[in-house]
Parts: sequence; C-alpha cells; structure tokens
Amino acid sequence: MEVEISRRRFLQGSVALSIVGGTALSTTNLLSSESKSSVRLEPTKTSTGRADEIPYLCGMCVNKCAGFARVEDGIVTKLDPNPYFPKSRNMLCPRGNAGIQTLYDPDRLKYPLIRIGKRGDGKYKRVSWGEAYNAILNGTDKFKGIVQILDEEKDNRATIGYCNGEGLSKEGFEELVGLKMGSPNYVDEISICLETTLGGYFSTIGTYGESDLNNADYLVIAGANRAEAIITPDTMDMFKRTRGRGLKTIVLDPRFTNTAAKADRWYAVNPGTDLAFVLALTYVVMKENLYDEDFVSKYTVGFDDYKKHILSNKYTPEWASKLTNIPADEIYKTAKEFMAAEHPIYYQGRRSVFAKNDFQLRRAQAIFQGLSGNLDKKGGIIYGKKLALPKEDVNSPMYAQARGRFDSKGVAIAADKTGSWIIFRNMVLEGTAPYPVRAMFMRKHNPMSGVPNTTKTEEFLRKMDLNVMIDILPSDTAMFADVILPEASYLERTSPVVSYGSLEPAIVQRRAAVKPLYETKTPEVIFGELGEKLSKPLWENTLKYDEDVQDDTKGMNPQELKKYYKENGFDLGEPWKKSVEEKNRESVVKAYGKKAWETLEEKGVYYPNMDTYHKQLDVNTYEYYPDNKKNYTTKKDKLKVICNFKNLAKKGVDPMPTWKREYEFSVPEGKFRLVTGRHAQFTHSGTTNNAMLRDLIPTNYIWVNKRVANKRGIKFGDMLEVSSSVGKISLKAYPTEKIAPNQIFMLHGFGGTSKGMELAYGNGGNDARIIEDKFEPVYGAAVMHETNVEIRKV
Amino acid sequence: MARYGMALDYKNCINCKACEVACKEENGVWLGADKYRIWVGVKEIEGEYPLLSIASSTFYPGQCMQCENAPCQDVCPTNATYYDENGVVRVDADKCILCTYCINACPYDARYIDERTLTVDKCTFCSDTRLARGLTTTACQNTCPTKVRTFGDLDDPNSEISQLLMNREYKQMKSNLGTKPKLFYLL
Repeated sequence: MEVEISRRRFLQGSVALSIVGGTALSTTNLLSSESKSSVRLEPTKTSTGRADEIPYLCGMCVNKCAGFARVEDGIVTKLDPNPYFPKSRNMLCPRGNAGIQTLYDPDRLKYPLIRIGKRGDGKYKRVSWGEAYNAILNGTDKFKGIVQILDEEKDNRATIGYCNGEGLSKEGFEELVGLKMGSPNYVDEISICLETTLGGYFSTIGTYGESDLNNADYLVIAGANRAEAIITPDTMDMFKRTRGRGLKTIVLDPRFTNTAAKADRWYAVNPGTDLAFVLALTYVVMKENLYDEDFVSKYTVGFDDYKKHILSNKYTPEWASKLTNIPADEIYKTAKEFMAAEHPIYYQGRRSVFAKNDFQLRRAQAIFQGLSGNLDKKGGIIYGKKLALPKEDVNSPMYAQARGRFDSKGVAIAADKTGSWIIFRNMVLEGTAPYPVRAMFMRKHNPMSGVPNTTKTEEFLRKMDLNVMIDILPSDTAMFADVILPEASYLERTSPVVSYGSLEPAIVQRRAAVKPLYETKTPEVIFGELGEKLSKPLWENTLKYDEDVQDDTKGMNPQELKKYYKENGFDLGEPWKKSVEEKNRESVVKAYGKKAWETLEEKGVYYPNMDTYHKQLDVNTYEYYPDNKKNYTTKKDKLKVICNFKNLAKKGVDPMPTWKREYEFSVPEGKFRLVTGRHAQFTHSGTTNNAMLRDLIPTNYIWVNKRVANKRGIKFGDMLEVSSSVGKISLKAYPTEKIAPNQIFMLHGFGGTSKGMELAYGNGGNDARIIEDKFEPVYGAAVMHETNVEIRKV
Repeated sequence: MARYGMALDYKNCINCKACEVACKEENGVWLGADKYRIWVGVKEIEGEYPLLSIASSTFYPGQCMQCENAPCQDVCPTNATYYDENGVVRVDADKCILCTYCINACPYDARYIDERTLTVDKCTFCSDTRLARGLTTTACQNTCPTKVRTFGDLDDPNSEISQLLMNREYKQMKSNLGTKPKLFYLL
C-alpha cells in the first residue's frame, strides 16, 4: 500500500503549540474555577474492579444514541455504546465518548448566580436557589423582576419571550413558560435549523421519513454531510456500503467533505443551486418517461400539471449546468441511473436552511423520490411506526390579557409554535413588535452563536428588562442573563422516557449515572420549583388585570377561589409534583407492563418481543427485529405525493417548485461566498469547551482555495480577518483545494466570548457574527449561505 | 493464550475519531496533541477544485501493528518491550528507561512518550482494561460507528477474524520490512 500511515495527523502537528494553555482569569470571577488547567480532569484508566453500568441516552447532540455509563466509586470512568437500541446500534461517536469531559468540565455552572455587574461582563454573585428564584420574581437593584414587568404590562404574558434548544427536557420548559405562564413567544432551534426540510417533506409526502440505507442501492446526498454531521442510524448504514460495495453514492456539496471522500461521484455544486439540479433531473425523467407509471398514477396529486410545468419551463440539464456548475451529461447520467436503480434514494438531508429556495428544493426532492416509486417500501424512504406511550395533559390557564405572537411578518406560513428567531429578534429590537417584549426565559440555547448577526442578538438581549438562563455552562448568551440557574448535565439526570419511532421502533430511557454535581438541579426539578414560586404572585397579577378571571371569580369565597385557581391551572408547578422517575414508571407500566419497565431500567431500551427478536449476529452486528417484522410499508393506500399543492398558491408560495432568477449564484469580484458546516467532533457551540474534543479539533480554520491563497500570500496558520456587512471575525487560514476559489468555509460554533469557558473563549471565529440576518420567505427560517465576505491578512 | 490480531474494514472509516476518544477514555491516555495510541491517517487531497481525486482522500485508521517481528522489541536495551502471552507487544513501565530507541525503530510511528510516567506508551489492545475484565472487544472496535474493526484470536480458525482473513483479500502495512504486522487492512 502506497499510503504512509503516520501519527502526525494532518493539520495537527503544525498547530500543536498554539492550543496549549488558556487565558488567565481573575479569581473574583465566580464563573471560573481557579487554576483550571490543573483541575481539568485527564481521562482515567478504567479499572478491573467493581463498577455499575447505568443505561443512559447521550446528550452531546440531538441524536440521543444509547449508552452504558461505567461508574466506579461514584465517578463515570467510561461511556460504552448500548447494543440494545435499534437507532444507535452499539456505537458512540467521538462526542458521545467525550461526554465525561462535559460532565466534569471545571467550567460548569455550579451554583445559582445573580448578575452584579453590567450585562456581558461576567460579574456574578453566588446565591442560594431561593435567592435566585426571588430575584426572578422581584429583581434586584440591577434588573427588574417578572412580577413588576407583568404588572406594568397589565398581565400581557406575551411580554415574556422564551427559547430552548433541542433535548429531552425541552417539552417541560415549553409547558412551564408557554402553557403555564402563558407566553406565546417561543423561538427554538427549528427556525435556524431544518424547518424548511421538515415543511417541504411533510407538505409533499406527509412525512420527513427515514431513508432505509441498509437496503438502498443508489443514493444522491446533497448538502448533507453524514460522515461529519453524524446521524444514527444513517451514518452507520451508509458508509458500510459506499465505494463499490452496494450503495452507489452521488454527493453534491460546494466543498469537498468527508462524505464526498466516500462518494462514487462528487459534484461541486454552486451554493444555493441544488434546486436547479433536481428540476433538471426531473426534466430528464419527465421527458423520457422514466418514472414509475403505476406508482405515479396511483399516488400522485397534480402530476400532469407538474410534468407540464417542468417541460414547458425547459428545466433541461443544459440549463441547469450553467447554474449549478455540474456538467449536463452528468445530470442526464444521474437521472437515468436513479430511475434504473431498484432502490434509489434522494436523501432528505437535515442541516440548516442554506438558501432562500430551500422549501421548494425539499418539495422538488420529495416529488422526485415519488417519481421513482421508491416510497413506503424496503430500500426507500419509509414512514415507520411509533410505540404508543400515554401522554399527560397539561392544565393550562387562559390569560385574557395575553396577546398573540407577531413574528410572521413577511412570511407566507406562520409557524405558530416555534416562530422565526430572526424576525422575532429583529422586530423586538427595531420596536416594530405590537407590544414590548421585556423578558427572556432561556434554557440550553445559545443564540449568540446560533442566530445570524450576533451584534443584533446582543442588542436584543441588552434591551430586555430580565434575562433568565438555565444551562450547564456559562455560554456567550448566559453572559447576558440576570439570573443563571445551573442545570445537571445529561449524565446526572433521569429524563422523560421517549418513544423512538422508525423502521424498528423502541422505547428508551436516560437514567442518571451519577447524582447532580455541585448545587445543580435537574431541569424538571427546576421547572417545578420555579413554577411553584411564580404561581401566587403571577395569579395575583392576573386577578388584578384579567377581566375574564375577574368575572369568573366575582363573589367567590377564599375556598372557592382556591378551587378555581387549582382547577384552571394557575398552580404553575403542578405538572412537576411527581418526579420524572415516577412518571416514567407509571407511563411504561401502564402501557407495557411491569416486565417492560424492568427491561427498560436494566437495558435502557424496551420494545415488544425484544427478548426473542434481539440477537447478536457477529461481533459487530446486532439484529433488532426480524426482517418481516420491520415497518417498511405502513402507509399503503394512504400514500400521497403532492406535486401541485394548490393551497400554497393562496399564501403566495409557488404551488410547484419553480426556479427564479434571484436564486442564481454570483459573487462580486474580490469577495467570497461564506459556507459553514460541521465536523464529527463538535456539536455547534455546545462542545467547544470539551477538553477531549478540543484535543482533536483545536480551532476552526478558514478554508481558502490554495491557488487564491498563493496569489494573496496566505499561508497555513496565517490570521485572516473575515468581514461582511454585519460584522467581522478573525481566524486562521487553511489553504486547500477542497473549496472553490470564490468561496470560503469555516466550522460553526467557535469564537466564544464568554470568559467563563476557558477553552472556548477567544478561540477561532463565530460565523454568526458575519452571517447576514436573511430569512427564507415560507417560514422565516434563517438562511445561512447567502452572505458574501471579504478576507484580509492581519 | 491467544494470538490477537485485528482486521480493519478501512473503507468504512469516516475519520470521525470515535476510536481515538474511546481509547483515551478506556486506557487513561492523557490529552495533548501528540498523545494518542490510535489515529486516522489523512493526506491533503490531490487535484484542483473541482477536479479532485476522491481516492487520494481515503482514510487509514492506524495504531500499533502488533508485529510478530517487532523492531521496537529488537532495539529495546532493557527488554521493557516484550510480547505478552497473547502476542501483544507491551511495555513494562518499570523497565523503560526512556531511551526512545523503540520510538525511532517503529516503522509505523505507533509509540509516544507518556509524560506522567515518563515511559513509552502504545496500543495494548486494551489488555489491561477491557480484556482483563473478560471482554472480547477493544474500546476502538466496540464504539466505531461504521464498524471498521474486528479483533480476535488468529490461532482460532473459527474466530471471526480468522474467517474474515480466509475469505477477504487484505494488505498489511509495510510488510516488506519483515515485521509481520497483525493488523490486516481488508480490501
């Protein structure tokens, strides 16, 4: 073999020196522990002695893979994959393995904190939980409390905004601030993530679906990067069969990713032009009648309209070639191969919204998949099944004074539940919201890094009268909080049991491996305590301003009033009176019996017939369901592929995917298009303080085409300033041919500004600081790849 | 007594480095850019955008080859490097004098200095952790998302590794040096 195998890992050798050590921090700063370098826990060798193996679900990203935590003398010494979960199939990725460094991160938020300095300067006072709750209620000399704010706003609960990133306790936070406290103004990760992908697929085929990559034989994967943005089981299934081993793989990506490295063919598509590629594939299929006629006649809606639309618009491969940078003959070849394959999949993708046409792109993809007929069947995109779990109802009060949400201005379809981060923030900031939003309740979410245009996010947070943050680390956003409540990390908490629906459904549970460290509390305990604290004062405020409640309660004696308060859900802490452990047990025992519960407690996973179905096939492979019990086909005659969606037209959205001139890719001379993305070693800003992961990826480099770099005298490691219309950042250069001469790339999640996170602070650049706050027209989701930047050696 | 080896379906490797992290956590390998027992070899890509060589970006998971004829063992002046009863090349920390001859002799660059103990460290196939607890997989194998590795006894004709090597073509790294490596890269 020609290849030299060297321990000098690429990139690593030349930068080793720059990553050692951190910034010295003043000892008066409560966020940092003193002389942290010495207390940062080095991995310890596992022992041969006694240990507990606690089943848990990983919390390092959104996937929730299953593992067993090895606990020796109360310390988690190793995280091992759990072979019982059909989703993660006995694997943990690098982040999953490095969860120990998150649990024992010396920078963890350890105690409740109250701000004593200016917002953003990191000066906090350690307080008790009671004092922290009181500060949320009544404020301090530095900030107002929620009682005063709601009084001034006459009980308009919409003056409270709230946000939460993905996770198993997110629903509880929505229950507390949304359903119980009455705020409609919720923003989460969806509008900075895959909203249009979900919307596009659901509106076309009724599901986002699951790609059955174990049985597919042809795959087009565009813009998704499964080798680096790991999703289980897709990542595991995909790469066992690439490179001439059964799964022919066509990758489209503006940059050469690790997924491209596994492709049969890689097309260096221009950013934002995938839609033209799919339309041209569709053109070939329509023109040459390559589609599955039987399937199309049975299950499509508006097929003839779509065929006419595609042909009359002349979406030919020659047309698309100029827009996409993909040769026309390659488009013909891909279309024909796709339709000739037995089990072809145009992969749905997940990732952020990159271009403003993303909703239409997803519709076009889903329809194209439908044309092959490879839907709701083995080897195709399947619908799967979910195991039912009883759901408890939340008794949510009605607040007559609470106004509605407003952040659908300029978009076609209002996302009532999750809104649009950019529109919400910008309207509040510009004062164009119909009423003042004055408080933000935040949990496990870092909009300073996630939402484009960080300067605006910072101004938005400064504009609030009260910011509350619940998290495990002092993130950049936490530094703008007035009250910080420290949460137990995922290895310290039992989380609400979840049903994982799929081809091979299962019920899974995260159990606490160790008790909450320091003075942290589990999210559900925090929700219950905070709810209880807020109940009475907020109820008084409602009595004062809410005419409906006043009418209802007129003339009631205290006994009756108390009853009314209870029955109408004003006891805000009520849903958390029972512990998560109790609720999980009741729910699972009720649905599946005591034995199922015991299995779940011991193995972390349960599904009917697991004891007979689950088998180890070889040292690396497990079978979860026999093939004839897998949910390949669940829709049957209910299947529908909507080609012409007429209702969309009423909302001003193209009822059929249509190319528009404004979608064309162009970059002015001397500028570069910024593209961002991920590595397998990091989950956005959430893991940048993890010592183990930092050992693998010391910083985020800016990829610049090698020839461009040569011309500009840029060498590896040179510091470059990258600027756009909204901000500038500096980071180190990595000249490479993996990126186009008119584009640059950087990893998302770096460039932290919180001094409380020693490893993340000041390391690399935060892409959100330079990405312009543009949004797509359907839901108002952030568009990440439409910013042009300049670069300059500094 | 066994003769342990490892077969690598290296084409599955996506360079995610889960193996490296699992190894560090299992075996208490200290952090630091050059401190690791296993790694993934990558080269900068060949060609000019957009005409790039996909083949030039193949990922090669690497670690100690557990040679049957190990140059590191030959050069060790104190016999700190030895073959254990399962044919695993090990380092006896008590005997190591940190002369670093072995580091230079190893054609695979598989050894490094552990600064805690000031001895040479390397892959042990998890002999003193997982295998000592009676497990039959290494940490790197067990965690791998795409299941690159199969670890097992080469002397047992029925072991999965023996079966794989009987039925699949493979290569060994730098076998021309006569090192008889026990890592097999499946083609």
